[in-house]
Amino acid sequence: MERALSVINEMMHLGLIKNYAIGGGIAATYYIEPILTYDLDVFFIPVKEGMEELAPIYEFARQRGYAPDAEAILIEGFPVQFIPAYNELVQEAVLNSDSVKYEDVEVKIIKAEYLTAIALQTWRAKDRERAIRLLESGAVDRAKLWAILEKFGLLDRLRKIEEAGDEK
Amino acid sequence: MKNDVAKLAEYIFEKKRRRRRQLARLPFEKKIEIVVELQKIAASIRGDNRGRVWPL
Repeated sequence: MERALSVINEMMHLGLIKNYAIGGGIAATYYIEPILTYDLDVFFIPVKEGMEELAPIYEFARQRGYAPDAEAILIEGFPVQFIPAYNELVQEAVLNSDSVKYEDVEVKIIKAEYLTAIALQTWRAKDRERAIRLLESGAVDRAKLWAILEKFGLLDRLRKIEEAGDEK
Repeated sequence: MKNDVAKLAEYIFEKKRRRRRQLARLPFEKKIEIVVELQKIAASIRGDNRGRVWPL
């Protein structure tokens, strides 16, 4: 996986993307117990806004011989899904990401508080479960999460999750 | 009797929570290895190739 992560870093250094952070199941796995996932979700800030946000990424992949695989690109055998930071919360999450090490590679990963906020915003069943797991893990700084949720109007969703009862 | 069952259930749930917390403390690299094991298990259950097993 380190080779795939190095390629993602290279894309940022080449200026194909402004910034990135790993989100989704792999970011959650960094903070909680391992969960079944198939894609490495990379949220990125595009160099240019618009319909062509993914074009430089796909062109780079084509030149390197990395094939598209459904909505992902197979980089060194790993399906990497590039997702433009689609709203203010996700943009902020990318810009405030943490650097962590996987083997010898530095990677950017969405902080637990933002990951929880994104899960609460997305609000599918699996996101609600992920939010619960993150809250239970001890990785989430409640004060920081509260501030993020307040800013993005998501406090009610935290209350709903907490009212839903004791997670088993 | 009802009370005993509730206590037993709570004991089991607490054990599960503890186990999850233990797993959460594993190194990132080890967790990724477990994700791949989960992918293999899922593939063997489904018997199809939906969802690729990562080449770690």
